[in-house]
Amino acid sequence: MKKKRILALAMTAALTAGMLAGCGGDSGNGENKESGGGDKEVTIWYYWETEGHQVALDKVITDYNSSQDEYEVTAKYVPFADFKKQLSIGASADELPDIAILDSPDHASYAVMDIFADITDKFDVSNYYEGAVDSCTIDGTLYGVPFGVNCLGLYYNEDMLKEAGCDVPTTWDELKETAQKLTKDNVTGLAFCSLANEEGTFNFMPWVWSTGTDSYTIDSEGGIKALTLAKDLVDSGAMSKECINWTQGDVMNQFISGNVAMMINGPWQIPTMQQEAPDLNWNVALIPKDAEYASCLGGENYAVIKDGNEEGALDFLEYATSQEQVEYLMDAFGYISADKTIAESQFAEDPVMQTFTEELNYAKARGPLAEWPEVSNAISLAFNKVMTGEAQPADAAAEAQATIDGIVGQ
Amino acid sequence: MKKTRKRLFAYDNVGILFVLPAFVYMLVFVGYPIVRNIVLSFQDVTVRTLTKPDKPFAGLQNYIDIFQDPVFIRSLLNTLIFTVCCLVFQFIIGFLLALFFNQNFKTSKVVRGLLLIPWMIPITVTALIFKFIFGTDVGILNYALQSLGLIKENIDWLTSTNTAMFALICANVWIGIPFNMILISTGLTTIPTELYESAALDGAGKVQTFFKITLPLLRPTIESVLILGFIYTFKVYDLVYVMTSGGPVNSTHMLSTYSYKLSFELFKYSKGAAVANVLLVILLIVGVFYLRATKEENE
Repeated sequence: MKKKRILALAMTAALTAGMLAGCGGDSGNGENKESGGGDKEVTIWYYWETEGHQVALDKVITDYNSSQDEYEVTAKYVPFADFKKQLSIGASADELPDIAILDSPDHASYAVMDIFADITDKFDVSNYYEGAVDSCTIDGTLYGVPFGVNCLGLYYNEDMLKEAGCDVPTTWDELKETAQKLTKDNVTGLAFCSLANEEGTFNFMPWVWSTGTDSYTIDSEGGIKALTLAKDLVDSGAMSKECINWTQGDVMNQFISGNVAMMINGPWQIPTMQQEAPDLNWNVALIPKDAEYASCLGGENYAVIKDGNEEGALDFLEYATSQEQVEYLMDAFGYISADKTIAESQFAEDPVMQTFTEELNYAKARGPLAEWPEVSNAISLAFNKVMTGEAQPADAAAEAQATIDGIVGQ
Repeated sequence: MKKTRKRLFAYDNVGILFVLPAFVYMLVFVGYPIVRNIVLSFQDVTVRTLTKPDKPFAGLQNYIDIFQDPVFIRSLLNTLIFTVCCLVFQFIIGFLLALFFNQNFKTSKVVRGLLLIPWMIPITVTALIFKFIFGTDVGILNYALQSLGLIKENIDWLTSTNTAMFALICANVWIGIPFNMILISTGLTTIPTELYESAALDGAGKVQTFFKITLPLLRPTIESVLILGFIYTFKVYDLVYVMTSGGPVNSTHMLSTYSYKLSFELFKYSKGAAVANVLLVILLIVGVFYLRATKEENE
């Protein structure tokens, strides 16, 4: 008898806990659909974790809300690691925001999922960078608006280069040589994020493209050459093997602590670098080239969710993409405007950002392809294999090619 | 007085009503997702079909595909190796510590309490700490080994496919020891001291008492510890995700991390579901053993 009573008690406790957990989960989502008559509210999901980014977005939203009284915009932060998952789950459960600000290489996947509204004739993107517009276009249909763009460049520690008597490298051979010279004691010459995920692929593509190879033919002379470069850098000790576990943020931290003399990274790191290491002498150059200069286009796109509050979302986007707002946002983010006219006048007095703006001319977009995550996975795996010594460049390239052919050939 | 109350509530019948809400809860929040997941694994759901009302039926194709996928096979083996290694070390070290603290010396209670800390720390924190410990150039483990003259070159623990699994197992053993220790300690207190006293009178040695009294009487506890430990360890996710994310070169993927990667990074929802179901089936089998073990114990 006693046992039964305890059992019942335990089950009641479990039930209560479950109900509480259930409530918590519900209130997180779906508030946009039920409350406020539906037409007034516009919700945004984004994943920027940097405080400065969040504050800047909030300011634009607050200003928009007080500038008119037709719509009320609210933004919700979803951690990057959860963002894709939340969008997928949201798509199947019909619990989506009205605007999603997402990583540009993922745009195509969600567009074919049919959750984004067609805004082809509703938004003018003719003045935007082509690569950025490509990332939100599928078969000629526009499914989004570029938020802002960025790309990768070569950061170097001026003091260390001077001490070693090196010039800034412009070719791969110079890069290898310089990195080797800069490597001593606890300092390694070069670092770039080499994670086996999209962040890693973002850092691998400039090397592949620099040889003149495209994203889908890794098993080519150029692809193997790029893989060999990564292998040589690691094997010679000029680049730490630990890069395969470093995010771009980790790479930046190693650079500002003086453990790394040169790094590949993006302009969004600059505000943090200036804050954390104001005395560090560094500068930026184009990524050293093989056959041609190349960089990888990054950044986020706005996407309007289909069947949500489309009018409200578009109205907010018109506001947020006006010159005044874009200039404010880009400065706060360390991004470059996707609007060419704004971008060209944006950094008149900032040589570092001018270098990134120049690099942008050589930057290509990943995809756009709904199955890009799988292609990206194959490429980053190939790089990780040669960097850990698990495979020779030619074998890794052949294996990646087989996977890519299986995806693109479909 | 007592009798009337009993009749009023008719406890035996009301019991069903008490259980009903929990049953409904389980059905909705546990049963439904499992059924959905099983259905999903028999369909072909990708980014192109996720929001379509009619999802193509794929039969067993997803299961055939994953069993031909070398990364899946590796994940399955990894999960088994990881679980068995962790269980063996956690259990043996936990058992020894439990016996040690059962001696009831002066500070035994305090120290035993302190040893519980690894179990209480959030796993993400533990994972980050161990990531630092096993770092190649800045890790304290390499520093210690070098200082002792045991190694000449730094070992790249987490960036080599040969050693990353070892690092994960070390971290997980550290977390699991207190769990084993505390459950076995509790088990030890249930053995009546008279048994040991009479055994001593009969002239039994320490080793003999351990194998003839302690072990047999602890059997139910040991079974529970091992089976619960298996379930906890087999579904490991956060530790691996933070320390290696399944890398380097997929060498430390577990069923859980690979399922997540397939579903939410590569958008192969159905294959991810199929991997999760393999995990579920294995855990179900272990769960049945557990239920059987506890049933025997009660009878």
